[in-house]
Amino acid sequence: MTENGVNRPVTAPLLSIDGLRTMVSSRRESFDVVRGLSLDIYPNEVLCLVGESGCGKSITALSIMRLLPTPPVRVREGEIRFRGEDLLSLSGKRMRNIRADSISMIFQDPLTSLDPVFTVGDVIVEVIRAHRDMSKEEARSLAGDALAKVGLPDPISQLDSYPHQLSGGMRQRVMIAMALVLDPDILIADEPTTALDVTVQAQILDQLVKEQRERHMAMLLITHDLAVVAAVADRVAVMYAGEIVEQAPVDELFEDPRHPYTQGLLRALPKVSTTRRRLDPIPGLVPSLQMMPPGCAFAPRCPHALDRCWTEQPELATDRDGRVFRCFNPQPFAG
Amino acid sequence: MKRVLARTVYMVIVLVLSSIAVFYAIRLSGGDAVAARVPASASAEEREAVREQLGLNDPFHEQYFDYMGRLFTGDLGNSLTNNADIGKLLTDHGRNSLILGVAAFVLVFGVGIPLGMLASLRRNSWWDGGIMTFSVAGMAVPNFWLALLAVWLFASVLGWLPSAGCCGPKQLVLPAVVLAMEGMALTVRMTRSAMLENLNQDFVRTLRSGGLSESKVIGRHVFRNALVPIVSLAGLRIGQIVGYALVVETIFGWPGLGQVLVNAVLRRDYPVAQFFSLVLITIVLLSNWLADVGYTVVNPRLRRT
Ligand SMILES: Nc1ncnc2c1ncn2[C@@H]1O[C@H](COP(=O)(O)OP(=O)(O)OP(=O)(O)O)[C@@H](O)[C@H]1O
Ligand code: SF4
Ligand SMILES: [Mg+2]
Repeated sequence: MTENGVNRPVTAPLLSIDGLRTMVSSRRESFDVVRGLSLDIYPNEVLCLVGESGCGKSITALSIMRLLPTPPVRVREGEIRFRGEDLLSLSGKRMRNIRADSISMIFQDPLTSLDPVFTVGDVIVEVIRAHRDMSKEEARSLAGDALAKVGLPDPISQLDSYPHQLSGGMRQRVMIAMALVLDPDILIADEPTTALDVTVQAQILDQLVKEQRERHMAMLLITHDLAVVAAVADRVAVMYAGEIVEQAPVDELFEDPRHPYTQGLLRALPKVSTTRRRLDPIPGLVPSLQMMPPGCAFAPRCPHALDRCWTEQPELATDRDGRVFRCFNPQPFAG
Repeated sequence: MKRVLARTVYMVIVLVLSSIAVFYAIRLSGGDAVAARVPASASAEEREAVREQLGLNDPFHEQYFDYMGRLFTGDLGNSLTNNADIGKLLTDHGRNSLILGVAAFVLVFGVGIPLGMLASLRRNSWWDGGIMTFSVAGMAVPNFWLALLAVWLFASVLGWLPSAGCCGPKQLVLPAVVLAMEGMALTVRMTRSAMLENLNQDFVRTLRSGGLSESKVIGRHVFRNALVPIVSLAGLRIGQIVGYALVVETIFGWPGLGQVLVNAVLRRDYPVAQFFSLVLITIVLLSNWLADVGYTVVNPRLRRT
């Protein structure tokens, strides 16, 4: 998937986010939480989206699915192109057809994410029948297959289980089965293992990667865990304060990060004990999204900030080596 | 199913205890129960003779078992005041009360739930404001006062509806509305808040991410979740209808069970009072039991595996 030397995917993107601005607007306040984000997802790849808590990862994902909590959060500007259409300007009905069939999403907490008063089989059948002209029985057998495929023990009888009767890991398998039952082209997984027991996290992740490989689908995996990124990503996009600050194939990013924020993340890694691999705070304050400084959003925490960094916004650009990042003053990484 | 069994046993125990309590309470005022039978001029001996004849001098537990035994053989006894057959009182007045009760039930749930849903779906609109104002008023106004107001407005001033009587649709309107008002107001409020709460749950987002239509997501899933608290309090609502029926039937001259009971108590007609107290208690307990069973049905989280 990479072109010699330049390391850029050569195929056309499956989904292109272009200049996405998503805002929170209520009577009290109004500010952008995603600030002109552009990102491509290519067929067949695992793209990891990483960044500190609150930087806008979930909001970006929900913007793609058009499932933002509106009000107060809504897309203000931008395009999300998928198969020649802008998702943001589709009718509600067209968008519903795309969900689950072409683009699926799974969420962090599988307990609260499943309807407690319906059996998992009922809901999967409903999802199937919202998209396919199928009898209840056909849909049910398809749902059973989907549960079997994601490794749920005794899948047929689990169709009649309620979420509370399943363990956390099994619930997340149900979510995966529901998301994949119609064979989507893209799966968005928003921290799919964070709410699970440490022991099942790896199993669920393995399952996701296995599905991604077998189905040749693209996966946008949102995570905090850099070890996960190292293990599964093809490409990584690093997000900071509502923007992409760097994106690169995973090896390049870990070996030679260009943006000072990415460098900070990686530098923080080996210092902590191996059991804690979450993104660790880099000294300094994240500027509040309500009052962004005019210049680079990372300037208040950046060890290499220049004067112009405080007044001027760096653009996301490709440098001579084909590296994509957003910085006026990149320095070699001293791990 | 264990839960249902437990609730059934519980209901039977409460029924027995409350029948003893009713029996005892009515016995406490037993001294004057004789008055219903004898003229005011009767002598102490004559009164005593009547007491003896009615069995009021037997030990309490004997009276109780005696009475219960007769109930189970279908011998309900007669009124002290007019010798009316209590079984016949039950069927005649029971039918009227059933009509009124069902009408009130339909208003409380059949109208209360849709209004609450409408308010939640049109949140902060005029609809919502109007419905919630109505609901607050319905909860705040005591129903006897509402009864008087309704009679004054619709019967006296506008002359649209009769102020009392039985048992056509026209006569039914005012008592049914007055009887249902508070329960309806509470149901509206509860439905609205349960809908709003469930609309914000994560599972709604999941269902939408599955491409389900809004009518499925809201009409089926959110609604079924909102039904859980509504059904759990349905027993309370029905109990309220039964309790208020005493007042409402009396005010509107609706010849139902409540009216019989109130009159019997006023006239110290203790066999009638006793029996109809038991009937009303049984209805309340049964409806609570039904609501409990319904709650188990709508809330699968209570069912194990
Ligand atoms: N419903 C909401 N109302 C108001 N602000 C919101 C809402 N949801 C998110 N935000 C704001 O949007 C910003 C981005 O949130 P988002 O959930 O995308 O963060 P995230 O990167 O997914 O963080 P995390 O890693 O904690 O999940 C947050 O700073 C938050 O303040
Ligand atoms: S633009 Fe300036 S402040 Fe921003 S990351 Fe680069 S060097 Fe640091
Ligand atoms: Mg998030």
